[in-house]
Amino acid sequence: MTHRTAQTPNRLIDVPSLARVEGDGALHIALDGDRITDLRLEIYEPPRFFEAFLVGRHVEEVPDIVPRICGICPVAYQMSAILGLERLFEIDPPAGTPELRRLLYLAEWIESHMLHVHLLAAPDLLGYESAIELARHERAIVERGLSLKRLGNDLMALIGGREIHPVTPRVGGFSRTPLVRELRAFEPRLEQAADDILGVADWAASLPRPSFSRPVELVSLRDGREYPVMHGDVVSSEGRRFAMDHFEDHVEEEQVPHSNALHAHLVGGGTYFLGPLSRVNLNAELLGPLAREALGRVRLQLPTLDPFASMAARVVETAQAIGEALALLRTYERGDPAPAHVEPRPGRATWITEAPRGMLYHRYGVAADGTILAARIVPPTSQNLARIEEDLRRFLPDHLDEEDAELSRLCEMVVRNYDPCISCATHFLTLDLQRSP
Amino acid sequence: MAAPRVRVLACGNPEAGDDAAGLLAARAARSELPGVEVIELGPALRVLDLLEGVDAVVVVDAVRSGDVPGTIIAFDVGSDGFPARYRSALSSHGFGLPETIGLAGSLGPLPRIAFVGVEVGTLVAGPPGPEVERALPEMARRVVQTVHRLAEG
Repeated sequence: MTHRTAQTPNRLIDVPSLARVEGDGALHIALDGDRITDLRLEIYEPPRFFEAFLVGRHVEEVPDIVPRICGICPVAYQMSAILGLERLFEIDPPAGTPELRRLLYLAEWIESHMLHVHLLAAPDLLGYESAIELARHERAIVERGLSLKRLGNDLMALIGGREIHPVTPRVGGFSRTPLVRELRAFEPRLEQAADDILGVADWAASLPRPSFSRPVELVSLRDGREYPVMHGDVVSSEGRRFAMDHFEDHVEEEQVPHSNALHAHLVGGGTYFLGPLSRVNLNAELLGPLAREALGRVRLQLPTLDPFASMAARVVETAQAIGEALALLRTYERGDPAPAHVEPRPGRATWITEAPRGMLYHRYGVAADGTILAARIVPPTSQNLARIEEDLRRFLPDHLDEEDAELSRLCEMVVRNYDPCISCATHFLTLDLQRSP
Repeated sequence: MAAPRVRVLACGNPEAGDDAAGLLAARAARSELPGVEVIELGPALRVLDLLEGVDAVVVVDAVRSGDVPGTIIAFDVGSDGFPARYRSALSSHGFGLPETIGLAGSLGPLPRIAFVGVEVGTLVAGPPGPEVERALPEMARRVVQTVHRLAEG
């Protein structure tokens, strides 16, 4: 899908449809000799109108609407919304709810990370056209990866109540909690997964990968007690620290002409990097024993700013999720299955959780009767987008000797390090929004 | 010999306009398919986990192939996967239905697979457009018909 326009110093690298990125995207790069004259990561996924869609709805409908923004990480959307609303309403969910939510969220990490590692990233590193070709040559590897992914999906389906977007998570708790025996039935599979993920780590360490070093500010949640999923302050590798409800004081988003998605930067700083590599770097000492073992096996040396180490970070986080899931499942007791009573209060609800791809921010304005007056959703990919373009600008000059096909493959890999979920990152200006049905 | 076991897998996003077509058609077909498992999925990749344990599968989904919106598209998936013109079926998740079935095929033997779909127009958040809305009863009828055909062996 690469076109060399002419045998002149002018080269045009066009990757019209990025393969193996979650959603539709296009990358345009124009070069004049060694100079980049144009570089745009374009988004043309049909825009999502979810923020407008939420206005006028009742708060109790929010957990059913927001997971539909993304089929890969519905739980992240539910949890950022639910936790923000519960804090505004000062609701204490029943005992056991935080643990069950964490288990559900970690299952989503397992599913999302194993999809990326095996079907999206590995074919790149091994030089296969697609996961289908990889599966033909490395059947056992792909089967192991898919069985890990399926474990995440099956746990999500049990706790979430069905296959498609989870329905049990509510403001106030869960509408149904799994029986102890239903959850314990997963123990043998998780024990197998704990073995398997170390095999995945050994395999991932053996894959050839490019490396790339550049200064970048890493950002994630951190609470200092447990590996960050749903709690903590926002921290960065440059020593920044702020409470999650001050997110909009520290992050600015701007519309750029070539994209439906907004570009984000830190106030008084530049672009920043979210996701597994940032979380692992900023919270390494909070990793459990299985994840530490995986960290050694996958040969991820911390701290690192190399974005090509992201795949290894996903393996480490999958080990963390499996280790924690086993512990959570073994101590699970089925508490009061009824969610806490919801008494709406007017005000502003905000929360951030760590979606598989990084911090996901939600803000809602709520009326006294529980009607949503305003909604703002800032997904991790839209925060990473400007950073991805900056990576490309820095990466390209050292690789201009490559043939166009190879250069375009390398560029796709730079983008894929972020596992961008472009379908979630798309926004429209209010102006455009009003013209559409 | 027992009758072949058939499962219906419906893919789509219920909130993204015509992308809901597969889910809606399968829902409409469900009442006429007693005893048949009808499963609604989000991303097509999950189909991979649900091809096992049955003799035949009917996959119902939205399609973007450049045809007139509302056109019903139905075919049996052969050993070489999807017909070429439908290889890039609609998915906002990188790994679409043709790729998923291709992947399953390279990992092991597949059940018989039939596809019933509809060409999409609008994909913005909200209900399906009128062309797809009008096609839903016919799409559901084709799902029922296809299940019966596959159940006969």
